[in-house]
Order: sequence, then structure tokens, then C-alpha cells
Amino acid sequence: MNNNTEQNNTIIGTTEKYQVTKKDLSRTAARYNFMACNIFNYESQQGPAVAWAMAPVLRKIYKNDDEYKAALNNHFNYYNSTTVMSSMILGATLAIEEKDGIQAKETVQSLKTSLMGPFAGVGDTLVWVLWPTIIGSISGYMAQQGNPLGAIVWLICNIIFWFIKCKFFKVGYTSGTKLITNLGSKLSAFTEAASIMGLSVVGALIASSINITTALDFKVGEVALNLQTDVLDKIMPALLPVILTAVVYKLLGSKKWTATKLILLVIGIALVCSFFGILTV
Amino acid sequence: MIWLQNILIVLLAGYMTIDQNGPVVLSWFSAIVGMISGLIMGDVSTGLMIGGTFQLMSLGVAALGGASAPNYGLATIIGTFIAVRTGTGIDAAIAVGLPVGLLAIQLEVVARIILNFVAHKMQSDNNEGKWGRMNRIALLGPAICSLQTLIPTVIVVAFGASVVNLILKVIPEWVTNGLSIAAGMLPVVGIAMLMRYMPVKKFLPFILIGFVLSAYLNVPVLGIAIVGFAAAFGYFKIQLEKAETAAAVPAAGAVDEMGDDFDE
Repeated sequence: MNNNTEQNNTIIGTTEKYQVTKKDLSRTAARYNFMACNIFNYESQQGPAVAWAMAPVLRKIYKNDDEYKAALNNHFNYYNSTTVMSSMILGATLAIEEKDGIQAKETVQSLKTSLMGPFAGVGDTLVWVLWPTIIGSISGYMAQQGNPLGAIVWLICNIIFWFIKCKFFKVGYTSGTKLITNLGSKLSAFTEAASIMGLSVVGALIASSINITTALDFKVGEVALNLQTDVLDKIMPALLPVILTAVVYKLLGSKKWTATKLILLVIGIALVCSFFGILTV
Repeated sequence: MIWLQNILIVLLAGYMTIDQNGPVVLSWFSAIVGMISGLIMGDVSTGLMIGGTFQLMSLGVAALGGASAPNYGLATIIGTFIAVRTGTGIDAAIAVGLPVGLLAIQLEVVARIILNFVAHKMQSDNNEGKWGRMNRIALLGPAICSLQTLIPTVIVVAFGASVVNLILKVIPEWVTNGLSIAAGMLPVVGIAMLMRYMPVKKFLPFILIGFVLSAYLNVPVLGIAIVGFAAAFGYFKIQLEKAETAAAVPAAGAVDEMGDDFDE
């Protein structure tokens, strides 16, 4: 199936290529770093923000409406990473889209999925744990004594960081351009390899970012058993997230179910199960 | 003057969430937010002392991967506002600020659930080719986010802090718990959608490897990505070698292609 769409697109997408300018890069970087988590939702997380950030520059790359739609839909998918690091990933995928257009759709998706996890691992630690802990304790102690110096230094650093983040987008773009030029005909093998890495991250996400815990207890004679810790966790850790993922994956395959319906279903189940004490936080 | 202060405090509270979600210049870093609230209220040292206290309380608490952490920034704004306006001591202001910060976290869950529908509206606009509207609807995102901190601040500024405590008591526990449970479960929809876009059937073993490393061995995602990279590297090399042999011996290429078609 994938092969068919690729072939069709090769036929359509033969118009001349748009050259991404420095201004495009600055604008896209600023749009992404502004929006980042501002449309954060539990389903696709940063997905819509990425699509919004990329929308103007992608319009220039994809003159064909159908290609443009497909490219944006590709970016609406689940995506989440530390914004600082993620600027680099998105810069790189932009370079790939500039060069190869809609044919590179799967490469873009695989690259985003495989890099978002590890980049967030490094980025979250540096940007959200290490740095705020150091500067936060310094300026916190100073502020407690009424000294604004720490807070002012922190504020200035944050303004500088904004420009660094936007710069990272350009760094990503440059390395993305190099990557795509070097790969050339090896692109499809590279895409498959990237999706291997991406899927191993997806496997980790199932275990780590989906949380569902039952609160049920049941008594066998004198012994009280907790369903979660004594039964389910003994069978397999993260058993409920796995079952939930399998069910939702299956339902998404059928025409009757859309993501919106599934979201409402999940919220409904959560509220009902919370009321009866079946599930817990 | 009082009205100007009220408006600026409300705007600061609203902007703070947009900033935390995006530009991260003020964020909800209490020391910085305390300094600015102090400037607005005309008493920088009180703002700094309250901000500093909340800053030290918040150390080591970070909101990662969309998880909710207490909103110490809002607590700082409310604390400073109450302390300067009513003249209560700093300790009393801190006791008032914290529950308001908690209310904001409850509202964050609600906002992120509403944003799900904004996201879908954007995507359906894209599919219909209405890109102008898609770009405008996206701005509802920051607007809705800012309400998380804006609404509690308006309540405090207009009615006083005791109303917030009342609201927290009125919301039944099963509702707040239910929303948090939903927040824990909802990433499944996004992850499952992603799996629909990726060659899951072809590379199922690698999902299993990632899962086992995370669920059984608690390997952090960077470690899992390194394992994934090793596998990807090996696969890439094998594919390149295959392509070379296929180019050298045309007949071998046909066999390879049949193997690849196993996919769908």
C-alpha cells in the first residue's frame, strides 16, 4: 500500500523545488518555540503546535494542495520532546521535506519518532531539572533575603535561551540538509532503519507514558489481594496499558471509530471508573 | 491605581502559562514571577521573599512529559497580591497562595482535554483546505491555556482567596480523580495513531524490545533509543549490502523484493 502512494506522489510532485530562506527558518523556529505546549493535548501532545509552526513554510514547499494536506497531517501526529532539543529535530525534518517533498513523509515521521524520546531525555534533564535547580536555588535564596540579583540574571539568561533555541532550529536544518544529501538513494533503507529505532521508543512509551491503575481489592478467605500489585503486576508490568493500546489500535483500524470518539470514550470510562473506585490515579 | 494593579496581576497570571508552555522567559519560576508581581504591586521585596520561598519549595519538582506539577508561579502571584493588598504576613500569604496553585493544576487537566478538540478542529480544517481558519483556530490554544491561571486569579482579585478554598471543597473528589485518570490514559490514543502510521507489523519485535526494557528493566528512554539505534544501524548496513549484491547480481534483487513484501 505504501509503495502505491509513493509512486503516485512521484508523478504529481515534479514541480520545481522551493528553496527555504533564512527568514523562513527564523519564522518557523519562532512559531514553534512560541506555540510548543500551548496546544498541548493528551492525545497528540505537541503535534498540532508542530503543524501550526510548519504550516507557512510547508505551504511554500508544497504547491500541490493534496501534498500540503498530507504533509500537515503527518505533523499533526503524536509528537513530544523538550522544545530546545526539538528545534533541532524539526529543523532537520524541514530540510528533508525541502529536498524530497512528500516522498519523504515516512522518513520525516520515523526521524521525529525515533529522536523525540532520546532528545527529550537529555533536554528535560538539562533544561528542566539541572539548570532550574542550580539557578533556582541561587536566586531563590537571594530572593528570600529580598535581593533581586539572582532573579534578574535568570530572566536575562532566559531571554538569551530564546535566541539559542531559534539558532538550534537552523543547526538542525543544516545537519538535515547534509544528512539528506549524503543518503541519496539509500533513503528508503534509512527510513526503515529510523522506524526500527522509532518503534523501540514507541514500545517504551507504551510502558512509560500511559498510566492506568486499578484500585480493586478482593478477599480470598482471610487474605486481601490487591488486583493491581498482587495480580496484574505479577503477570506483567504495564499489563493494562498494553491491553488498552491493543484495543485502541484495533478500534482505530475500523471505520466506525475516530480519534475523537475514542477520546470521549476514554474520558467517560475514566470518570465512571473513578466514581465506582475501579481505577485510581 | 488599584484597578491598574488588578488588571496587570491578572494579565501576568494569564501570560505566565502561555510563557511556561512556549517561550519560557518568565515561566512559572517563582523567583522571577515574584519579582515582577512585586513590581506591579509596588513592593518588590515582599514579592521576592514570597517568590524565593516558593522557589525553594519547588526545587526538584518539574513538569515533564506533560505531567502535572503544582503551579508555584501562580501561588507566588496570588501570595504577593494578598500580602501587599491585605497586609497579612508572608506566611499567611503562602498559605493562601498554595491552594490557588492547586486549583490551576486541576484546570490544566481540563484545558488539555478541551485542547484535544481544538487539535481535531485544526486537522479537519486542514483536510477541508481551510488553512486560514486552521491557523487562527490554533490561537485558541494559548488563550485556553492562559485561562488555567487567569480564572483563579480573577476569582481571587474579585472575591478574595476564601472563595477558592470553597471551590476546591465543592468539586467532588471522584471528578478531579477521574480527570487525572483520563489524563493518564489519553496518550494511548496518540500512541496508537502513531502506530497506525508506522510499519508496526513489519518491525513488531522492536516494539517488544522497547517495551520490555522499559516495563521490566526500567531503562530510561535514552538507553532504549541507543538499543534501537544499534538495531537500526545493523539493519541499515545489511540493507546496503543487500542493495550492492542486488546491483551486482540482478537475479538476487527479485528474491529480496519478495521478502520485503511481507509488510502489509
